[in-house]
Amino acid sequence: MLLLSAPFDPGALAPARRPPRAYAQVGGAVAPLIVAGLGSAWVGAFPTLGPALAGGAVHGGLLALGWLLATDAAAGWTGPVVRLVATLILVSVTARLHPLGALAFLLVPAALLLEGRRDPRLRAIGLGGARPAHALAGLAAGAFLGAHLLATASRTFGYRLHAGDLSAYLAALAYDVGANALTAEWVFRGAVFSLLWRRWAFWPAALLATALALLRYLLDPALPHAVEARAGAVFYLGLVGLIGCALRAWSGSLLPGYLAALAFFAAYRMFGS
Amino acid sequence: MIALAVALLIAVALGMAFADQGPASVLRHLYLIPTLWAALARGAIGGGLVGTLAGLLHAPVALPAVERDGLTSQTLDGLLSLALPIVAGLLVGRLVDGSRARAARLAAVLAIQRRLDGPEPLDDKLIGVARELCAALRARRLALMVGADVRTALLASVPVGTLVDTDSAAAFALATGQRVSTVDLAADPRLLTEEAAGPTPLRALALPLVSGAGVVGVMAVEWAGELSRATRAAAEELALHVGLAVENARLTLRQHHFAEELAEKVSAATARLRELDQAKTEFLSVVSHELRTPLTALQGFSELLLRSALAPDRARRCLVYLHTEACTLGRIVGELLDLSRIEAGRPIELRPEPVDLAELIERNLEIFAAEHREHRFRWTAGGPGVALHADPDALDRMVKNLLSNAVKYSPRGGRVCVSACPAADRPGMIELAVEDDGVGIPADQLSRIFDKYVRVPHPETAAARGLGLGLSLVKALAEAHGGRVEVESLPGKGSRFRLLLPEADRDF
Repeated sequence: MLLLSAPFDPGALAPARRPPRAYAQVGGAVAPLIVAGLGSAWVGAFPTLGPALAGGAVHGGLLALGWLLATDAAAGWTGPVVRLVATLILVSVTARLHPLGALAFLLVPAALLLEGRRDPRLRAIGLGGARPAHALAGLAAGAFLGAHLLATASRTFGYRLHAGDLSAYLAALAYDVGANALTAEWVFRGAVFSLLWRRWAFWPAALLATALALLRYLLDPALPHAVEARAGAVFYLGLVGLIGCALRAWSGSLLPGYLAALAFFAAYRMFGS
Repeated sequence: MIALAVALLIAVALGMAFADQGPASVLRHLYLIPTLWAALARGAIGGGLVGTLAGLLHAPVALPAVERDGLTSQTLDGLLSLALPIVAGLLVGRLVDGSRARAARLAAVLAIQRRLDGPEPLDDKLIGVARELCAALRARRLALMVGADVRTALLASVPVGTLVDTDSAAAFALATGQRVSTVDLAADPRLLTEEAAGPTPLRALALPLVSGAGVVGVMAVEWAGELSRATRAAAEELALHVGLAVENARLTLRQHHFAEELAEKVSAATARLRELDQAKTEFLSVVSHELRTPLTALQGFSELLLRSALAPDRARRCLVYLHTEACTLGRIVGELLDLSRIEAGRPIELRPEPVDLAELIERNLEIFAAEHREHRFRWTAGGPGVALHADPDALDRMVKNLLSNAVKYSPRGGRVCVSACPAADRPGMIELAVEDDGVGIPADQLSRIFDKYVRVPHPETAAARGLGLGLSLVKALAEAHGGRVEVESLPGKGSRFRLLLPEADRDF
């Protein structure tokens, strides 16, 4: 018991967090890629690869941000972060080059696990396995929310399911597995929520982490622009975020929240991507 | 339980779907039943979860009406029905949690009081108290440290066994009376630890246990995950109760111990008084006997002299007997007078003068050797110059008493060694030692043998006569001279009495 066994210095102060140089370096590397990708698409030079490059850079940047927050940008971050960002960009581009290329997104969680396993500090944000009961609870919560979304959206707004294009549906699912749900869980429920929860109680930490996650989705150009769609996104993604935080706190792992998000997006993608 | 409540919710939702009466269906109110049930059974988490599920299940019915008809009284009613289970579940759950926490706190206080009430030692009770507290506070770990100093304090922890550092947070709280609170043990810079942070933050509190006597200990508690304000308040309240209860328990134990000690002392004093009473009775009987013996001789010989015309040599022998018995009578009366003087607290009157110790010892040894032919007496002088400045009569009585004792307690005869020399371990003192190989004295009686009227019982020496005053007189006389008397003895091996008196050049 540390209160009895660890030496205590009442005057000791918390070491200042490292200066934001690492964040600036990552931002400085990722931002030009995003600008280049979007710019090339805008001018019509690379209408397919440009957005893929930008999307890969955004998600790579999110993974990098999560990594830096979790490790406080301690020495040794460069290698894993560069590899992860590069992997995401490559996977994102590959997904646009070939109809089966989206399957490459499935490699990203494996790459993240491989890189993360080498750094024990990442256990503190929930990088690790979960009990089957916790994982099942996550799946059930996500599936319920997804089913609810389908029922409510179809009854309220008359949205219809797209059953025709299976390959597009699977590609969207793969994108959720390797980028969308993965980076959201990694950054917002992993790094941000864990960091805040160590200082605050659950609710303030969960609300702020969820608000930041909502902001990220609302800034996503892929989100439909209809008001009811945005209101629905705030409602459901807010619930997904809070449930993700609760599952992270309950299980100590990011996996149940990740599975909940995947199950939810699996339902959401049925409206067509 | 939650699963059953969820099943009920689904049943209500299906019922509403089949009834197809839209958001105004009376069945919507049934959502409150599983919600309130979950809130009553599982508190705010259960009520909030089931209430949210109820709201979500009602949403596909209520929201299309809002989209279709806009905000009318009916659609508002539908929205209210959507929000009501969530609010009701959370509010009722919170109330249930609050009352449960209060009940648990009260139960814990009573349980702690019961545990501390027993007669067992405090450290045995503390582990039970720590278990009660850990359960009541739903803590991961809990330790109680009771005492003013961390090095000597009693410690009880759940789970059992923890290391204690003298500079720890608990020690700080104990020394200063200040509480220590941390939101994450692994990340707190004040705690010098190499322990890596886990996925769940560890909240912790070290609360001083305070009573009227000041800080009597520390309660250290560790939680994994959430530490609500209510739990924190409960911990502080319980620490206050524990501080007072521990102090009460300590006082009760001290009182119990004091009462036992007092009872033992009273019992010992009563026994001693009984012993003394019996000794005095025996003493009177012995004194009567001791006095009667010379008196009978005096009476007999004087009658013989008065009634018969004896031949001069026979008459002279009678007179010698008369003189001897008169001397014996005088010695007994002298001892009794000394005793009465000591008992009255008056100082013994001494007339000190230079005394030749060797001459005095040799004279007494001759007398004893003549009377006790079965004993062998050996005298070892410690060289020339063994001279004392003492009252010769008192010194003579001390020597006689010691020799008489040696002879009396060597009933089968034996060796009696007498020596006198400067005491090696006491500069300025002369040591006169009388050693016998008699029955010896048991170790538990050694402290009593210089008390008045005390005679150590032994089957072989039961017939020996004596007042039980000899050694107490020796002690009193030695102390009056500024000296002392010591004894070493082994049962069955004999005894060695050591009389220490100041050398001739000392004033007293």
